[in-house]
Amino acid sequence: MISLIKLVSYVCIGVGIWFWFWGTLSLLNGRSVLFKLHTLSVGDTLGSILIIFGLLLLRPQEFPLLILAIISLTVWNTMLGYVIAYSSTSDEYDQVIEETLIEESLGRSGRESYE
Amino acid sequence: MILDLALIAMIAAVLIPLYTAWKTGDIWQTMLAFSSISTKTAVIILLVSVLRDDWMIGVAGVIILSVGNAGLMLLAQIIKRIEKL
Repeated sequence: MISLIKLVSYVCIGVGIWFWFWGTLSLLNGRSVLFKLHTLSVGDTLGSILIIFGLLLLRPQEFPLLILAIISLTVWNTMLGYVIAYSSTSDEYDQVIEETLIEESLGRSGRESYE
Repeated sequence: MILDLALIAMIAAVLIPLYTAWKTGDIWQTMLAFSSISTKTAVIILLVSVLRDDWMIGVAGVIILSVGNAGLMLLAQIIKRIEKL
């Protein structure tokens, strides 16, 4: 007879693994890097936290170690997702800024000629 | 028994980004795959430490997670600047 805690921990681990597959399978389709990055970081972070929480229920005496794993996983995965998103799209971002600056300067010079 | 099956499923989940990293030519997709591999392997290390009840392995997994993907972040910044050259 499986105890309730073991059952809850196995369910958490199972759902975590499902999140892993859900986030990772998006790597295979041909969508953009940002789309893949989003599903991957959500799937990885959420899935990993659920798995570690399931492990925590199995080994409560290792509470501080596994809580440290959850906290650092949350911080670092989110940070890495932001850095990769910024680095992979910064060129297009710079172009947009340049275009808007040019338009603004054209707009201002046009207005001065009217006044 | 159940945790062994979970371990096999997790190893299967790691194979997908490995295949993507091998197949794709785009550097940013490769970076995505590597960041996914690093997170997944760290969590697999934690599961193995629970299976064996050996917490030196667990500490190694937590160190990997707490060092995080610092190296990948620096690499992303370098690649961004190289692309501008």
